[in-house]
Amino acid sequence: MANIDVSTYFFTAAVPVCNEGVVEHRSLTGAKGVIKSSPIHIVREILETLPTALQSHATEEIGLNSPFSRNLRTHFTRFVILDQPNFNGRDHSNALVNAVMKVDLLAAQPVDQITCPYIFWTIDFDLPDPAGAGEPRRYFEELWGQMEPELRSIFQYCYGFDQVKDAASFATYILRCQIETTMPFHDYWYIPPKLSQISIPGLALIPGIGALMLLGSLIAGFLRWTGWRWAADFVGWSGWTWAPWAGLGVLILGLIIDYYWVMAKGRKPYPASPGADLRNVLKALYLQQVFTRFATAQQRRDRTKWGAEFRTFLTATRPGDLDGPTQSPGVIRSQPGDAA
Amino acid sequence: MTNATNTPSSATLLDLADIQGGILRTYGDGFPKGRNFYLTVRDARKGRAFVEALLPKITTAARWKDPKRDEPLLRTRNPRVKDIVRAQGEPDYPGRVQLMKPKVTLNIGFTFTGLLALGVPTRTLRGMPDDFIDGMEARAALLGDDPFLDKRDAVWRNSKGDRRVHILLTLYAQQNPDGTACPELKAETDAIVALCKKSRGGVVLLDGVGPDNAQWQDLSAVMRQDGENWWPTNKEHFGLSDGFGDPVFSGQFSGEAEQVRVAGGGKLVYDPKKKTYKWEPLATGEFLLGYPDEAQEIPGAAMPIAFSRNGAFMAYRKLHEAVGTFNRYIDEQAGRYARMFHVPKAEAVETIKAKMVGRWEDGVPLTIAPTYADWQRFRADLDKARAEKNKARLAEIALKFTNFTYASDPAGSKCPVTSHLRRANPRDGLGPTFTADGLSGDGSAIINRRRILRRGLPYGQYDANAPTDDGDHGIIFMAICTNLFRQFEFVQQQWMQYGLDFNAGSDTCPVIGNHPKADEPKMVIPVDPEVGKLPFICDRVPQLVEPRGGDYFFLPSMTALRMIGMGIIDPT
Repeated sequence: MANIDVSTYFFTAAVPVCNEGVVEHRSLTGAKGVIKSSPIHIVREILETLPTALQSHATEEIGLNSPFSRNLRTHFTRFVILDQPNFNGRDHSNALVNAVMKVDLLAAQPVDQITCPYIFWTIDFDLPDPAGAGEPRRYFEELWGQMEPELRSIFQYCYGFDQVKDAASFATYILRCQIETTMPFHDYWYIPPKLSQISIPGLALIPGIGALMLLGSLIAGFLRWTGWRWAADFVGWSGWTWAPWAGLGVLILGLIIDYYWVMAKGRKPYPASPGADLRNVLKALYLQQVFTRFATAQQRRDRTKWGAEFRTFLTATRPGDLDGPTQSPGVIRSQPGDAA
Repeated sequence: MTNATNTPSSATLLDLADIQGGILRTYGDGFPKGRNFYLTVRDARKGRAFVEALLPKITTAARWKDPKRDEPLLRTRNPRVKDIVRAQGEPDYPGRVQLMKPKVTLNIGFTFTGLLALGVPTRTLRGMPDDFIDGMEARAALLGDDPFLDKRDAVWRNSKGDRRVHILLTLYAQQNPDGTACPELKAETDAIVALCKKSRGGVVLLDGVGPDNAQWQDLSAVMRQDGENWWPTNKEHFGLSDGFGDPVFSGQFSGEAEQVRVAGGGKLVYDPKKKTYKWEPLATGEFLLGYPDEAQEIPGAAMPIAFSRNGAFMAYRKLHEAVGTFNRYIDEQAGRYARMFHVPKAEAVETIKAKMVGRWEDGVPLTIAPTYADWQRFRADLDKARAEKNKARLAEIALKFTNFTYASDPAGSKCPVTSHLRRANPRDGLGPTFTADGLSGDGSAIINRRRILRRGLPYGQYDANAPTDDGDHGIIFMAICTNLFRQFEFVQQQWMQYGLDFNAGSDTCPVIGNHPKADEPKMVIPVDPEVGKLPFICDRVPQLVEPRGGDYFFLPSMTALRMIGMGIIDPT
């Protein structure tokens, strides 16, 4: 299943927005009065005013963190509004063919349209179980518990959203809008990944046998045709008229088996790089920063105290404990106080 | 991109509540009063706050309910195509009805320098078309405005530096029975003035409008008195009916309304199966950015696409009408015409006016009623249908105001090829070839890319008993399209200010064209060659219409307005 790769679920959904008519609302940005606008207009305004992660100086000043930072499995998420498919102009055609076929180039070609705008939603989240048991339902139920108000405001104008009552119905709703993710993006391995190998001799075995039978029969046939019948008889090929057909059959069968074998291997999720889930990443980011500060501080200390200081450092930062002091999600740096 | 089955898709779906109202609908006689404001932005942040504050007031194209929508077709004015649809109880516009018809509409446009002053990113601005970046003054020579630059209102003459016009606010208001504007117009005016004041110099309302340097441009339909009541007419100050035959584009009207309005309003398309031409709505992209246009291309627009989509460009022009000169000239020419053709003077007056415009003074097209006698018959037919309350006949007559072609009149003996009407929209009349049955669809492909949505209202008044050229009266003309150069400027330059496409040399439009004395301006009224009479030449045509200012504006969608107001345009 292409949705799962590197112990991560790559979720894609297109949620249709009922854009009929007008909704009245107050501006989210402070303008007085009631704004009458289309539902998709408000969806855009909600998305535009949804806090992003505190990952720049400007957002750090605002101080409002992304609601997705409440979830310790979410790596990355993005909302996009799809209004209409982009129109790329007429289909290209050959001028000579047009002339011969008498194509009327002034006749307009049909243009694709979608009947309503869609909220396109992509998310990468960690899988506690690499096989993805119970996912992505479990993730969405978790998310509903952590950011229900925000999810409601984003999806309030979507077709059928009024049926969403709780976490389970939200998960059901979003799963109905899911599209298979066929091209996930993930981080690099910093060591060579342990990939499930495919055996080249294994691949070659069955088609190879078929090819050899076919080749042998062809050689025998050629020898007989050139009058060297004795040579063919000498190696025992004289009566094997079924051999070329059997060879061809085995060759084709072997290629088919190889094809499905390669495809089955290809469908296997790429293994996750060690420590790539969000909690490990946050811990690593935290350790990297506190260790830098620790190392800077030790420069000014007496070498003899370094050992004791490091033991204190390890006790305080608990490198193996993902629950322990760590970087908060959705921020760009750990604060010095976090080290304690 | 075409769909898999290569079958035509359903009608264009528009997000009506995202599109500014003035683009899709003519506010027309429902809003016969108006007021336009010109503002300059001196502080980007305060300017954005001003735009944000205006957002709740902007009128969109969302459908509304008109509680006073009266029985159509039987009214005293000439039946209109939209009345047919209304009579059948069909909606004019698509979409669900949730709003009531407002008392006052408000729409907003920005010049290029206005967008710059509001802090729109450079990368977005550089995607704007050259014509819009230049603005109307820089294009004066092309438009034929150069002889009149000094006559413009002060607000336009001084539109530079810290007095550059950045924002245009157009308000249209309903009227009281006594012909005055409804009180909401003043309330909205006060609100705009207060918003400017609140910005503490960030957004300044510019004065210098008209001869008294007023703070805004007042507009009013020409009125007709009926006892105590005043009714708006569709006339302009020359006494000619205006506002017929606006283009019809896909998505603009509801399906039923579109079917009726498209005849004469859309484009002519050849149907190879039936071997005839039929009317179809024009491509949405000719009038709204972000949609395919008649060339099956997306018209050039600024990025991000959400900034341009559902927006349009507008040429805004204040056109002064020399009413005294017009009346004198028609009178003088009519005297000669009456003698030459042995007709009564009154008939000659009406005929010359009709031949200049292409319609009789009440809007009946010359193509439908080529002679004075035909016109009288048409009117008698109309009066009879009205008296009999014959709605079917009235509907038939209403269609005749727009549904016609010129193929049967290549020489212009019915409707002169150089009349204002035929210049503005030559329909099938410019084709290089004519088919055996007299049709010329080839011309249509060129014309389909030169259509504009015409909006606006007359301004000012004059003494009907002593019409003069002085004073401040004329038309605020607004042309909406997606490509000012290809559509508005082309029509203005090539068809209005030049006559070669009509085999009329350098003869300009008899009504709105430039008529410098040195050019010995004239207009030829052709006659049917078989009649054996001489054509009539209106000679020494005086200057009848003069531009008094204007500029090019971008009319953003509500999405783009919000982006401008919030300052969050990401062009990458």
